[in-house]
Parts: sequence; C-alpha cells; structure tokens
Amino acid sequence: MSSKAMRWTVGVIGVVLIAASMPRAAYADDRVSSQTLKQILQELNDLKAERARADKKIDDLEQKIETIQGQNQKLQEANQQLKSDTSQKIETLQTQVSTSTSRSAFEGFFGEHQFVAAGGGAITYLYDHKSNINTFGAEFEPLFLYRLNDWILFQGVIDAAFPSGSGASFDVPVATAQIFLNDYVELNAGLFDLPFGDFDEDQSVFWANRFVTNPLPYAGNGLLPPGDLGIQLRGGVQWGQLGQDVDYTAYAANGPLYDTSLPAPVVGQFFNGPNNIATSTHGKAYGGRVRVYPLPLDWDWGRLELGASTYDGKWQNALWLTSWGVDFNYRADTFEARGEYLGTHRQMPNGAAADNRQGWYIQGGYYLTKLHPSFLSPAIRDQLAKMELLVRYSGLNQRAVVASEIPTEPGSLGEDASPSLFAPHPREVALGLDYWIAPSIVWKLEYDMELPRAGGSLVTFDASGTPVFKAIGATPNDKAILTQLSIGF
Amino acid sequence: MKPARLTTSIFAALTALTMIAATAVRADESKEQRQLFREGARLWPVYCSQCHQARPGGQFSPEQWNAIMMHMRTQSEMPAKDARAILEYLKASR
Repeated sequence: MSSKAMRWTVGVIGVVLIAASMPRAAYADDRVSSQTLKQILQELNDLKAERARADKKIDDLEQKIETIQGQNQKLQEANQQLKSDTSQKIETLQTQVSTSTSRSAFEGFFGEHQFVAAGGGAITYLYDHKSNINTFGAEFEPLFLYRLNDWILFQGVIDAAFPSGSGASFDVPVATAQIFLNDYVELNAGLFDLPFGDFDEDQSVFWANRFVTNPLPYAGNGLLPPGDLGIQLRGGVQWGQLGQDVDYTAYAANGPLYDTSLPAPVVGQFFNGPNNIATSTHGKAYGGRVRVYPLPLDWDWGRLELGASTYDGKWQNALWLTSWGVDFNYRADTFEARGEYLGTHRQMPNGAAADNRQGWYIQGGYYLTKLHPSFLSPAIRDQLAKMELLVRYSGLNQRAVVASEIPTEPGSLGEDASPSLFAPHPREVALGLDYWIAPSIVWKLEYDMELPRAGGSLVTFDASGTPVFKAIGATPNDKAILTQLSIGF
Repeated sequence: MKPARLTTSIFAALTALTMIAATAVRADESKEQRQLFREGARLWPVYCSQCHQARPGGQFSPEQWNAIMMHMRTQSEMPAKDARAILEYLKASR
C-alpha cells in the first residue's frame, strides 16, 4: 500500500469514528437546546420589535424636523417680508414728512433759523492833562442776530460799560426786527441807531471807528439823539454799472426829547436818549437819508459815497426841531477819508431866539501797507505794513453849555475825555496811529488837542428855576492821550 | 430695423438726452455760482472796507454768514444782488 492510500484509509476511519460518536451527545442535550433556541428566537423577536419602534420614532422625529424646518422657513420669509414692509413704510413716512404741507409751512415761516452772537469789546486807557484823569475803561457790546429765514432777522445790541466810580451799567441801544420785503425794500421796526449821516450807524462800533474817541458832533448828544424808536423803510439798488448804487432810508419815530432834569428848556441843552413816550410832543419825528455811489468798480478809482440826511420832529407842542446834514466817504487802496457837516434848528418857547447848532468833522487815514523802506529789516517792515496813520479835525457850535450837564468824568471809553469838549465852541484835532493785529482787532493810539474857540454862555438856574446866562471866554486848551485795544468778534 | 431694436434705440437716446439735460442744468447752476463768486470777490474788499476792515470768510460758518450778511445788507444798504454775491464769496472762500 502506498503512503497516499494509507493516509486516505486513516482519514475515512477517523470520520466514521466521529460520526459514530455524535448522535449520542446530541441526544443528551436535546431538551436544553430547544429552550435556548426559543429564548434566542424570543430575543430576536424582541429586537425586531424594538427596532421597529425605533424606526418609527426616527420617522416621527424626521417628520417633526421637516415640519419645524418648514415652519422656520415660513418664519424667515415672514420676517423678511416684515423687514421689507417696515423699511418701505419708513421710507414712505420720511417722504411724506419731508414733503408734507405742515413741514413746508414750518420751514417757510421759521426757515433754518440761526442764532449768531457777534459784536465787540474794548479796553481803554486815557490820560487827560487838564483834569489830571488817569484811568482805564472797558466796554462790552455784544450783537445778537436771530435769523428766522432769509427774509426775517432780529437784531439786538447790549452795551455793558464801566463808568467811573460805579459798577457795570447796561443799555440796549439797538433792538429791531428786519423784514426784507423784496430786493429793494426792507422794513425795520424797533429801536435803531439814527440813520443820519454816517457815524452813528456805521462808525460807532469800536473796531470800525478808527479813533478811540468820537468826533465832536457825536461825542455828546448835542446835535442829534443817538437813536430813536420807530419804523424804517430802506433799501439800495444799482443804477449804473457795478458799484454805481443809490440807497435810501425813510423813517418815522417817537422824536427828540431833551434833558428833562432841567427846570426849563435852554439853548445848549443835550438830548436824552431814545424814549418810548411821545406824549410830550403829540407828534412823531420824520427823517430820511439818501446816499449815492457814483464811481463804477471798473474804473478802479475807489469807492465814493455822497449822502444827505434830515431829521425833523416836534420836541414840544408846536415847537419843531429840524436837522439836515451832508456827508462823504472815500476809500481808495491805502487811503481813506470821511467827513460830515450837520446843523439843527430848534424853535424855543416864549418867543426866545432859536437854538441853532452846527457840527462837522473830517478825517483821513493812510495805511502803511505799501511802504517798504529798504533800510529797515523785513521784520520791522512787516509790522509797519499793519499800521495806519490818522488825523481828524472836528468842531461844534452849540453857543451855550448847561453847567449841570458838563460831565466831570470821562465816559466809559474816554470818548469825552476832556472838559474842553463841553465848551460853547469846542474844536479838536486828533492824531492817531492804529496797529491792525487782525481785520477786526486793532490797537489804537490817539493824541487829542482841544482848541476851543472863545465866546458863548454858561447856563445855570436860580432858585426859582429861571435860567441864568453868563458869558464865558476862552476855555484853556487841553490835551489827552488815549490808547485802546478793540476786538470785533 | 426690428421693432425691439427700435424701442431699445429710442430708450437709449432718451436716456442720453435726459443725462445731457441734467448735466446742462448743473453746469448752468455752477456757472451762475461761479459768476456770483467772482462778483463777490470783487465787491467784498470794496464794499466791506468802506466802513471796516473786510473780514475773511473763514471767521464764521456759512450759517453764521447767512445771518451776518443780512445784518450787513441792512447796515450798508447795498443792493440785494451784491449782498448775495458777497455771501457766496464768503461762504465759498472758507
């Protein structure tokens, strides 16, 4: 027997033996195996049921998720729609508000109203030789503008001064409503500077006036009141080429009022300031001013103004004050000049001689801007270019002065520094040097020579209030030095 | 030409004309403002310095100038058109 046959025989015998032994073991465990199989089948069935429940739960959950996703989608869409609707409504409302009649009416009436504070302030030092006054002064004059729209403006000026020997004093020299009716007519109502000549309206501001002091006709209130309370119509128009203009002012106001502290009206007495009681006159004052500018800009000859003014009103029943004046103003490059002549005629009571007064001033200025002396250093030349040389001559014929009206102390800014001003015929020469720090900031230096002319009366009153006229001769000459820092803001 | 292309061409032409017209209006406004500015630049030193030193535009905001120029128009009684020119100059030269 070969080895291969041998191995095949052994294998067959082994299989037979194994087969013979197996039925005996199966038979032994037959009952146990059946129970186990049942248990396995049961567990299998349980597992199947559990899986079925789990599958159902999963299906339920998936359905819920789908439902929630659907709801979320709807919410997002609704939210988007709401946002869109809200934006649209806001835009619609904004459009409605911006174009609504009420808003247009509001803006048309009140406009883009604007409140502006401007004005000026000044600090002065003065020395007067004759009265041996040596003092500082200060004044603060804010200008308030309230612009309602492009045709209505309110304007107010408050004047806070510090007179000698007292605390601050306050005044309101200007308070007006300005209504621009069209390009050619403007209505002003309220308390205004007297539109007479050029000084009170245009030159009395600290930083506009080239001098510290006022010229004699405007230093006191001898010729005209500084302002009045009433209404004005005014405007300007170009009548020729560019620069050739004409302007006008016509007004009615409460009228002149003289010093009411005196026992009786006398020649030489001063005006009171503007008042709101016209009962003493039973009438109004009327005035007007016309100014012409003849030079066209194209000629390059500078700017020339020629003006004429009048102011007339009853100062007592049937007693009139009539005033007239002419003025000029010229500016060309570095040279400027201005001047006025004005006169008043007042009827006096009881047939007394009329109260006639005249005043005038002429002044000139020259800016050293174009002077460049080569022998000076550039730094000095730069300073020189900021300077202006000035001279002014002014006079007043009032023929009498009332002793109790002569101030014993200068005004808050030294505008009436010298007692020589309060003479029947004062004359003054003023020399000035201005240093322009900025267009609205100037440091001024002024030297005044008072040269009063002889003749006239000094008025006093006796115990019964009857005026007593005493002839006075020449008032001694006087001189004063003033310096002032003026700021416009 | 097909109707669709004709419509497109007309629409394009109208759009172009509208834009040209709008540009022309702006140009006119700008031209008018430039003219005002130039005139204001000439008038400003002459008119202002007649009473005081001419103050530069930068000293006040445009809104403040609106009020101040109304005040100055009253004070100087300058023609309204000249006041508008000076105002334009002062506001634009800030």
